[in-house]
Amino acid sequence: MNQPLVLGIETSCDETAVGIVKGRTLLANVISSSVEEHARFGGVVPEIASRAHLESIHSVLTRALSEAKVSLTDIDAFGVTAGPGLIGALLVGVSSASGLSLALDKPLYGVNHLSAHLAVDALNSEHKLNPAIGLLVSGGHSSILKVSHFASDVIVIGSTLDDAAGEAFDKIARILKLDFPGGPAIDRIAKDGDALAIDFPRGLTNDADHRYDFSFSGLKTAVSRYLQKIPQAKVADVAASFQEAVVDVLLAKALSAAKSEGIETLIIAGGVAANSRLREVAAQRCGEAGIELRIPPMALCTDNGAMVAALTSLAVSSGAPASSLGLAAESSSGLDRVFWP
Amino acid sequence: MTTSLAIDTATSRTTVALVKNGEVLLELHHDDPIAHGEVLPRLVSQLLEVENEIDEVVIGMGPGPFTGLRVGIVFGQSFAFARNIPWRGVCSLDSMAAQVDAEDFIVAIDARRKEFFWAHYLRGERVNEPQVALRQVIERFTSPIYKEGDIYPCAKFMPRISGDIREPIYVRRPDAYPAPVGVTFRPMNAMDVVIVASLEKLIYAGEDPWSAAQFKEELASADRHYLVAEKAGVVVGYCGVMIAGDVADILTITVDPTLRRQGIGREFLKRLIDWARNKKVEAMMLEVRVGNEAAEPLYTSNGFYPLTTRKDYYGPGLTALVMRKELR
Ligand SMILES: [Zn+2]
Repeated sequence: MNQPLVLGIETSCDETAVGIVKGRTLLANVISSSVEEHARFGGVVPEIASRAHLESIHSVLTRALSEAKVSLTDIDAFGVTAGPGLIGALLVGVSSASGLSLALDKPLYGVNHLSAHLAVDALNSEHKLNPAIGLLVSGGHSSILKVSHFASDVIVIGSTLDDAAGEAFDKIARILKLDFPGGPAIDRIAKDGDALAIDFPRGLTNDADHRYDFSFSGLKTAVSRYLQKIPQAKVADVAASFQEAVVDVLLAKALSAAKSEGIETLIIAGGVAANSRLREVAAQRCGEAGIELRIPPMALCTDNGAMVAALTSLAVSSGAPASSLGLAAESSSGLDRVFWP
Repeated sequence: MTTSLAIDTATSRTTVALVKNGEVLLELHHDDPIAHGEVLPRLVSQLLEVENEIDEVVIGMGPGPFTGLRVGIVFGQSFAFARNIPWRGVCSLDSMAAQVDAEDFIVAIDARRKEFFWAHYLRGERVNEPQVALRQVIERFTSPIYKEGDIYPCAKFMPRISGDIREPIYVRRPDAYPAPVGVTFRPMNAMDVVIVASLEKLIYAGEDPWSAAQFKEELASADRHYLVAEKAGVVVGYCGVMIAGDVADILTITVDPTLRRQGIGREFLKRLIDWARNKKVEAMMLEVRVGNEAAEPLYTSNGFYPLTTRKDYYGPGLTALVMRKELR
């Protein structure tokens, strides 16, 4: 099928999201976050997230269908995040998608969340989908992925040994008494600081066993030690120097992966892709290295259903088989497969 | 002419049935407490081979363990949504009761942790809203009890149960924590670090446990505060907190596994909160492993709310929940 109409469901964490695409064209991307639901229940995640998914999934579906101006019976295939994620949360999406697919007798594809984050780059552009290195950085992810083929061959070649990149931003923002979430707060104040003021450590840069892995705990310790030693330090300088260290290590590893794998495209996805310094340095270094830099629009960088639909659409177009009935959601991390059998 | 598709996943049994004008065309079930998501679509597809024209979906709304329960509910709702047909929710205890031929009895579904979801039936009618209670509590009733295992929800009875429940029956679990008996609490000192490190090694083996030297270093830091719990002169638990800016960060609350659920953790938490209040910080924060069922309700009942989650915080696939409590 050339231009399949695909509906994708994402419920792996606390966003209930549905996206609809036709071929590589985005028709709808509706997201309902359960942040407010959490406050209302005052209770426990992931149970709260799972309850919220169940409460909102059908209204999100309805909104996505009306935004896309299509009927559910027109859908050619369904996609759903089957892992990794919170198991109770994943199960809501997978069970909903199973109900839809069985009711309408349409194929269902269980997809890998990490892979979908990168496949979203296929949308709204007809560029050739070349092999790529994916740098996936957010509050929940810090991975380097090697994409040989979007719909069949994606592997994780590096991940964080401790904190995710977004999480490191949050923690340092807390130490610096900045707002939550820390990413935007540090990005903002760092503009007034000197990124070269303090030479913070770049974790794992010379560790052959962890060529593409990250570790941010040493950096975190270095920042708090520095502040203990020099309490009068200028916050903007500390923030800028910290951010510079993170950006430097993320890009050094991603570009070194591209170089040694002989890959000429870098895709940056995840919430941290919004960081202005990361974008600036990435553009500069990719330019120097002759590497094509691709960063999906921000609305498609954080968790969403369009990314699931995009990946599913590529699978349908390439003739990949659908998942079997009763596919099992899996919480475990990493990337064993792009699609569930 | 009405053909009903009935689904229930409130217990370890996934049960589905196809009922046409009161006649049962097919009932199927499968017993597995953790595989409702995989089992249900397969069973329903077998029913659809018998009859694909469905007029309504009848769904068991619980009470039952939430993760499995929600599989049946969301699947049934999505099926009805896609077919553009109505769905109707019924109480899962009622389809169990439908199988009992007695005047006065109790039906109970395993709620795990020695508790049961239950309801009382008199002359075929449920006389109370579903509740949760410890096994000993329901056993105090004189009526006979039919527990999950003796009987299960059965989908073929569901279409004839009246009512229309629109929300899952989430019966709240009461928070009851006993006070620690014979346990004393005091600040940790240098003499404790060896035994504390050995507890740490025992409990967090494979998770990068702190050494005695690291605990010593912790004790030397001015912005930290550590306590130990002692029972009969033996250290049986420890906890620690650190000030980071305007926030007090709970570093650890660890209790000897053989002495859990005795209120030691709760007492630790209370003392750490009091200490943080005295330090005039704005809030307290902590990380708890998602799925750590013992710890989360403790924090929630002490005013911590979920802020965000951190994937893979405790290792691959182990998500941390970040919680915060405002102190001002
Ligand atoms: Zn994600």
